[in-house]
Amino acid sequence: MTTDLDPGAHALRAGVGDVLLDVRDLRTHFKVMDGLVKAVDGVSFSIRRGGRLALVGESGCGKSVTALTIMRLIDQPPGLIAGGEIMFNGRDLLKLSDQEIRKIRGGQIAMIFQEPMTSLNPVLTVGAQLTEAILLHQETDKKGARRIAQTALEDVGVADAKRRLDQYPHELSGGMRQRVMIAMALSCNPALIIADEPTTALDVTIQRQILELIKDIQTRTGAALLLITHDLGVVAETVDDVAVMYAGRVVETGSVEEVLLHPRHPYTRGLLESIPSQGKRGKPLSVIKGMVPNPFRMPPGCKFQPRCPYQWGECATGEAPLISLGEGISSRCLLHDPRFRDRLAAYDTPMGDPA
Amino acid sequence: MTQPASLAPSPAAPDAELPLIEVEHLKTYYPIRAGIIRRTVGQVKAVDDVSFQIRKGEVFGLVGESGCGKTTLGRTLLRLEKATAGQVKMEGRNILAFKGDDLKALRRRIQVIFQDPVGSLNPRMPVSDIIGEGLMAQATAENGWADRTARDKRTGDYLEVVGLRRDYARRYPHEFSGGQRQRIGIARALALDPEFVFADEPVSALDVSIQSQILNLMSDLREQFNLTYLFVAHNLSVVQYISDRVGVMYLGKIVEVADVADLYAHPRHPYTVALLSAVPDPDPRVRKKRLVLHGDVPSPAKPPTGCRFHTRCWLREQLGNPEQCSAEDPAPRDMGGGHQVACHFAEQVSKSVASETIHGVIASKTQETGPVVAGA
Ligand SMILES: Nc1ncnc2c1ncn2[C@@H]1O[C@H](COP(=O)(O)OP(=O)(O)OP(=O)(O)O)[C@@H](O)[C@H]1O
Ligand SMILES: Nc1ncnc2c1ncn2[C@@H]1O[C@H](COP(=O)(O)OP(=O)(O)OP(=O)(O)O)[C@@H](O)[C@H]1O
Ligand code: SF4
Ligand SMILES: [Mg+2]
Ligand SMILES: [Mg+2]
Repeated sequence: MTTDLDPGAHALRAGVGDVLLDVRDLRTHFKVMDGLVKAVDGVSFSIRRGGRLALVGESGCGKSVTALTIMRLIDQPPGLIAGGEIMFNGRDLLKLSDQEIRKIRGGQIAMIFQEPMTSLNPVLTVGAQLTEAILLHQETDKKGARRIAQTALEDVGVADAKRRLDQYPHELSGGMRQRVMIAMALSCNPALIIADEPTTALDVTIQRQILELIKDIQTRTGAALLLITHDLGVVAETVDDVAVMYAGRVVETGSVEEVLLHPRHPYTRGLLESIPSQGKRGKPLSVIKGMVPNPFRMPPGCKFQPRCPYQWGECATGEAPLISLGEGISSRCLLHDPRFRDRLAAYDTPMGDPA
Repeated sequence: MTQPASLAPSPAAPDAELPLIEVEHLKTYYPIRAGIIRRTVGQVKAVDDVSFQIRKGEVFGLVGESGCGKTTLGRTLLRLEKATAGQVKMEGRNILAFKGDDLKALRRRIQVIFQDPVGSLNPRMPVSDIIGEGLMAQATAENGWADRTARDKRTGDYLEVVGLRRDYARRYPHEFSGGQRQRIGIARALALDPEFVFADEPVSALDVSIQSQILNLMSDLREQFNLTYLFVAHNLSVVQYISDRVGVMYLGKIVEVADVADLYAHPRHPYTVALLSAVPDPDPRVRKKRLVLHGDVPSPAKPPTGCRFHTRCWLREQLGNPEQCSAEDPAPRDMGGGHQVACHFAEQVSKSVASETIHGVIASKTQETGPVVAGA
């Protein structure tokens, strides 16, 4: 497979260079009535300082739980962090005390949620909420905090920022509320921004404004971005690297060009083939057949095996580790195990050469 | 303000089918209250004089800016929101006036798939009760839904229809991911055998593969049961795939209606052009030039005079800010083939450089001179 990428760019990719966040073999489980749901069960990825990584994958595969675990926002019980490390700036977030993590949360790590209405307090003005967050994380007085709040709103393109500080969340439009969330997230100069579906509820023109804004601020401040989204168009236009999840695991990583144009894992390939496009009108859309595995009866081998069009005997019993293919590219599929090189050759043909 | 004419399909349209739903001059305003006695001090004109028709068996797509009134419009059709003025006819009868048995029957015939799967499912109920509750309320001698076993069977069947496991019926909403919850909402709506479904962002919380499954499912059910959909989504590729006709809303008004192919190939309203040019492309090699709208969305409590889009309109700017845009509310006009547009200068849109940006072929020269075209 050839790539038209600048090889120098890869030196900076995850795994090499200055890593800010390194999630290793993370496992977050939930006790429910019927047993244990292994929502996150072997998630590994890393983001370098200032880097942009998208986390994509099937609904329910554990993306939000991964983000919430990084923020240490999983209630235990019913949650249980069963294993793994979250190295942030060289420290394992899972080992920090509640007090230490509270300083990091909303400070060095900021989170933007999908629904700003549920994360903003409806009975407090925008200004009150912003200043509260600022006072918690920065050395300043009330007046100073209000000044910082106003600047933060102006930075995210909110016109008439001073007046907005005295308004309540419901008095703002959806796009405006999302900007307030972003302003709040950015007011403390985070090193990492986690955005879980930040624009899913917004129309494409506002989505574009918000994404440009996040990218812009991120370039200016050098913060890293972890973006969770289902929209592969947004992925293509916003990030440098992608990690694909399936059934609680990361099954593929790589640069955005590699993952979207040369998907290594059969799940990723199925996902890309499902995108509706103009040519498909009137015809049924291609889908990944079958269902997400029952969390209590996970297939013993590859978790994607029951649905995989490329599976063979080996897949039902053996599960591949995340196999590194160089340049930050990796795949959790037996096709990439050197033992099965002849099968890989057959797999590589169907999608054709994208060039 | 001039009264816009009805957006009835032109009689010339060859395949003009029977309308199932006729919306006529519909207005839904929310009061703005203030002070200790909660006096009404103004109104949010969420839906402001909207007229259009939905044909029997079609998918009518509705797109538009966040907060432009799509959900309110749908909720008004469902009688979940009280209309301020206007009529909604179903098979010729004004459903806004329905009472008693008519209203009960209507509550089954028209179903909704809610935009917000989290807020729309009662957290204290297991899925079996969430879906069973609606069945119970609509139980008759014929359908036998009064019987618990029949309800549970139907609940399990519809969970499978939307790609969930039968045994999930025992679980509670918080035990599901966003996408799974959305599918519970879809199962709940479809289990009632509706004729008309208002699908408010039914797939935006789903990954593309499950999204495709749901779209295929909605298409199948539509053919099987001759369902009619009002389909709201922000994802314009999804709308293009599923819809027969599409309406574009801006700040409480429908500004354009056309057959789907016509609308995507030849958008006539400047807002539609901007909307289409903002669609992100999943091919990382594509770097198209974008048409970026400037300024904030005006408040629906104080909509701009004249054309509501004039404060952000790139075409008006290109035309040297003609007075007509800010003075006169453009009435919907038929541009041929049932393509309705509410813009004074719709004829100029196709000639303008901006419309080329949708096809990604804009020359760098125009980028320098065109005031509204910005880089991706
Ligand atoms: N509190 C909880 N109790 C039990 N199970 C849970 C809980 N929270 C999440 N889960 C389960 O964990 C899995 C992962 O959920 P998560 O919300 O991370 O999915 P996701 O990848 O973000 O999906 P989506 O794209 O639909 O938002 C799901 O199967 C879900 O049912
Ligand atoms: N209960 C309410 N009281 C007052 N104003 C409301 C109420 N519900 C909606 N609105 C306002 O009415 C307008 C239209 O809202 P609506 O939810 O219909 O928009 P929408 O097009 O569905 O937006 P989105 O794409 O963000 O879902 C918005 O300005 C909104 O703030
Ligand atoms: S009427 Fe004027 S302001 Fe409105 S869309 Fe047309 S050109 Fe733009
Ligand atoms: Mg999620
Ligand atoms: Mg809505």
